[in-house]
Amino acid sequence: MSEITALTEDERDCYQEITNVAMGQAADRLARLLNVYVVLPIPNVNIIERSEFKMTIKSLEDAPSVSAVCQGFIGAGIAGEALLIFNDLSFSDIAKLLDYESVQNSNEELEMLMDVANVLNGACIQGIGKQLDINFSQSHPVVLGQHRPISELLDDKHATWERTMAIEINYTIEDHNVNCDLLLLFTEESVHHMNRLISFLLED
Amino acid sequence: MTTKVIICDDSNMARKQMSRSLPDDWPTEITLAKNGAEAIEVIKKGGQELMFLDLTMPVMDGYQTLEAIRKDDLPIMVIVVSGDIQPEARDRVKKLGAIEFIKKPVDKDKIKSVLIEYGMIEPPSSPEENAGGDNE
Repeated sequence: MSEITALTEDERDCYQEITNVAMGQAADRLARLLNVYVVLPIPNVNIIERSEFKMTIKSLEDAPSVSAVCQGFIGAGIAGEALLIFNDLSFSDIAKLLDYESVQNSNEELEMLMDVANVLNGACIQGIGKQLDINFSQSHPVVLGQHRPISELLDDKHATWERTMAIEINYTIEDHNVNCDLLLLFTEESVHHMNRLISFLLED
Repeated sequence: MTTKVIICDDSNMARKQMSRSLPDDWPTEITLAKNGAEAIEVIKKGGQELMFLDLTMPVMDGYQTLEAIRKDDLPIMVIVVSGDIQPEARDRVKKLGAIEFIKKPVDKDKIKSVLIEYGMIEPPSSPEENAGGDNE
């Protein structure tokens, strides 16, 4: 299969708009769970090379300490991973919003991390799937690590892929100190399939 | 009579989807805008009646656009069309003067019923009337 080194302007626009709708659905779920207003950004869609991955990750989150969860999804020849990266400073505010008295230990933080990841990842993945008419199966979320610099959590040394389509969404919660990044990564082969699927949306 | 409509969205695909979702038999003159600032410029020239407005946009977003319309008391009806389906988003745009909120992806029937509700288009005649033929 030929290499995908870039997206056309129309393709990028289409993925951005599909993500826009999906992340809105995810934000709605989180807003209802925490009784807050989630500020939605314009998502970033890019094809990135393995060599650029570290830079992308670093630019996502400059906090000295983060916690991250990843979750795979697959369906109709499309496969990817959703990475949810939390600025560790967010936990005390999330704890308040979820009515935890205070965060006692890492286990409680882990529980909160999983709660939020389940809502955001799940709704976003299914939201994208629905628009492309795909039923994605999701794997269980896995904690990549807690309270570490982001460069230690994500390592590209063992990566087997050459390039990936990355969709970055930065969620913040209004009036609260909560900041997280959702990074959706699609395999190169998936992008071929997806480009075909979206071509009907792009027809005049 | 032709209705002058603005479709304001930063996404080319969303603008296309929106144009396609308008009723086929509704005569319109559509102006496309990529952000709120472009839309305000068009509205200020006058003659526009209705705008479909996205919320998340660069330069000037939907909320800022609604504020600008209110501040200058610009004569236009605004229907917000957004993927931000949080209850708070709906409340905020209504408070800022939008007449209606429609969630993305847009649905042709929903658009039609909103347009009927606000008297922009006539309700479809009932099947009985069509079958009956010569009434009226």
